[in-house]
Amino acid sequence: MSASTHSPVLKHHFEDLGQQHACERLGIWMFLATEILFFGGVFGAYTVYRLWYPSEFVFASAYLNRTIATVNTVFLITSSLTITLAIRSAKLGDRAALIRYLLVTAALGSAFMVMKGFEYKADFHEQYVPGGLFQDEYAKAAGKIAPMTQTEAEAYFKKDSESGHPTHEAWAKDLALRNHDASGASAIDPGKVQLFLCFYYIMTGIHGIHIIVGIGCILWLVWEAWRGTIPPENYSTVEVVSLYWHLVDAIWLFLMPLLYLAGAGYGAHH
Amino acid sequence: MSDPTTPATHDDPHGIRKDVDSPSLLLRVFAAVLGLALANVVLSTNIGPSQFTLPMQLLIGSVQAGIVAYYFMHLRHGDKVVILTALSSLFWMGILFVLFMGDYLTRHLVVSG
Repeated sequence: MSASTHSPVLKHHFEDLGQQHACERLGIWMFLATEILFFGGVFGAYTVYRLWYPSEFVFASAYLNRTIATVNTVFLITSSLTITLAIRSAKLGDRAALIRYLLVTAALGSAFMVMKGFEYKADFHEQYVPGGLFQDEYAKAAGKIAPMTQTEAEAYFKKDSESGHPTHEAWAKDLALRNHDASGASAIDPGKVQLFLCFYYIMTGIHGIHIIVGIGCILWLVWEAWRGTIPPENYSTVEVVSLYWHLVDAIWLFLMPLLYLAGAGYGAHH
Repeated sequence: MSDPTTPATHDDPHGIRKDVDSPSLLLRVFAAVLGLALANVVLSTNIGPSQFTLPMQLLIGSVQAGIVAYYFMHLRHGDKVVILTALSSLFWMGILFVLFMGDYLTRHLVVSG
């Protein structure tokens, strides 16, 4: 019988703490495997459509907010560091540092969601949303330049952009111009642009839900740590939540290039 | 059954402190992942959309995820069964991709009639 058998955090059905920690790690990794497959299905669908409609996906991505996405990437990577430091503090029995690092992690996750909220709000304001809003804005811009020549249309949109209160959104002007005199091969299909936007909202939405769940779990850890129920022997409780949080971070590291960087540099190269 | 990766000592009876990460290592890992993220943004913006951009972006993302898994998710300290679980999830996702890509990307090759 080892010394660990006497630990108060040892569950009755485990022989010792080593076995308990190993089982907890294996359990969360099996859950993470299902999460990887869950997101894998969405990534797979995205891959197929991106290969089928590359021009539309590049165009649609170009009008997403890369600044907010980059700031959010920094938030998430930093939160991965702070939650790993929280595990370290839990192992060393430094309860104050554990609570501090967990709170910083929750704050960074919350900041991510606040920025995401601003981003969604701006997207809705620009009517960059699949469905009626998108179609109305595009039809307004395309209808306005329909009787014009390409040169007249470019001059009209340029004047609109330079006015203090443009009547058309930038993406709608660009899309209408590209389709104005375009033959079938070089045209950008508005329907397929909206398909990309469906992926954008579904993928970032599912990811955002995972972030919210993670913040809830971290705040629960803060409560438990404050109550003193996370001694060093129970560090694996923090580790289990951190593994989930790191996976959510890792998924964002793929969402960022697939959604936001697909159209990076588009303006400079078209 | 004792966890073979966390041997007990007199000062650390449960072997918990044995695998404590050093802050300097964690900061170096953080800097590497953050640097790769910023490099991805800068390179993608400068190169622009091309046939090489997506593979480059996904390669950088994979390296980042690998670093996060190895250091932050402690796969370097992981039991063999945990490492097997992590690798098998990638293997299953590989099967998923091969099967449906084999379908969707070869449909134009089918001659009807």
